[in-house]
Amino acid sequence: MDYTKQIQEIASKLFTEGKVDIFIGYRQNAFDDNQVPMLVTSPGDIPNLIFNDKSVLNLTNYLKFEHTRNKRVGIVVKGCDSRALNMILTESQVKRENLYVVGINCTGVLNEKGEKAQNCLECVMPDAVVYDEMIGTPSGKREYAVNVDVKELAAKGLVERGEYFQEIFESCIRCNACRQSCPMCYCSKCCIDQESATIYNGSNTPSSAFHALMTWSLHLAGRCVDCRNCEKACPSHLPLHLLHKQNEMVIYENFQHHLAGMEKDDRGAFYKYNLKDPDDFIM
Amino acid sequence: MEAEVKEIKGQVVSAENPAIVAPADWQPVIVGILCNWCSYAGSDLTGTSRIQYPPNIRIIRVPCSSRVDPWFIIKSLQTSGDGVLISGCHPGDCHYISGNYYARRRFLVTKKLLNFVGYHENRVQFSWVSAAEGPKFAKVVAKVTEDIKKLGPLHKYKKENLK
Repeated sequence: MDYTKQIQEIASKLFTEGKVDIFIGYRQNAFDDNQVPMLVTSPGDIPNLIFNDKSVLNLTNYLKFEHTRNKRVGIVVKGCDSRALNMILTESQVKRENLYVVGINCTGVLNEKGEKAQNCLECVMPDAVVYDEMIGTPSGKREYAVNVDVKELAAKGLVERGEYFQEIFESCIRCNACRQSCPMCYCSKCCIDQESATIYNGSNTPSSAFHALMTWSLHLAGRCVDCRNCEKACPSHLPLHLLHKQNEMVIYENFQHHLAGMEKDDRGAFYKYNLKDPDDFIM
Repeated sequence: MEAEVKEIKGQVVSAENPAIVAPADWQPVIVGILCNWCSYAGSDLTGTSRIQYPPNIRIIRVPCSSRVDPWFIIKSLQTSGDGVLISGCHPGDCHYISGNYYARRRFLVTKKLLNFVGYHENRVQFSWVSAAEGPKFAKVVAKVTEDIKKLGPLHKYKKENLK
């Protein structure tokens, strides 16, 4: 999967036609095969644009910052990114007319070890669902599969699971990179910060990590698109996808196979209801 | 697979962490979040009809069960509560027509996630109690208190543990 040429062509076309102020794409980092996001503001930067199997980050995250707010933006989205874009469009965070979306029909990206990333193996929608221009051939919607890590953990006992997560919450340093890197987390004031004693709850104790990560994942339940930007941003390499995939599994199984961002104007699973929703757990 | 609740004579052993033991006369604190229109009125009826129920519950009144953000549950468990009881109107009886339908979706996901990270499923419980169900409210509180007593004190991720 190497669409560098096509993307450069599209970007230069957009700039010559004056359709965008900013183009968001990927750029090669100086070392490794690491790629970083790049905001192209002038046509001179276009040769630096790149797209291949290592373009892992979700660029829709950059639509929430001041640089791109209320500007005409060209953006490159893969399948999962386009679902995120669909969500933030539905939630009125960006205007569709301000965007020029280059949709990529993704064949999966590689993780740090050079293998196909786990979320790509379990991907339900590799094709872009929102796009102005499409690159690659669509491969269609795939069957939903429960995450292997979640399955494995769920088979373990309560105490074992508790110990496993205790370790995770102890390793969290509360840097909030997961929240900052999440395209769905755009609130200007976040509830996990709003504390009378910030020093207390912002500290890197297991208690505050439990509070922050659990609240964060529950506020993303039914909205998370499994792009794993949070995991890539986490300096402690915590398996944050466990929380999201668990929620996704429960929502998929109980609420009419709901998956976030698949359809236009579909808000999260918590914004609608069905009279037949399970309530056997309620006394 | 749920953890077995062990019982040592004269002591309460926590189901989530067998290392935590409490004296037999230990009393749990249960955070009760009740909807204004049904359950709060129901609990009021329990009181006015002089029905006895355990005093372990600390009641918070909210306008509707859908006002309960999963965050409230997390915060209750993180601060003083050993357990949480959330109660609202029966499905179809919501004062705001559909609030409790939204709420129960969130409750299911919250409950499953808490169980996933190592909380016993009885730590957080939900009920539908109408304004006329005084005796039911007493029964619900008695059951929740009994369940939490069996589970033992909650020490996981407590703010007080920061010393």
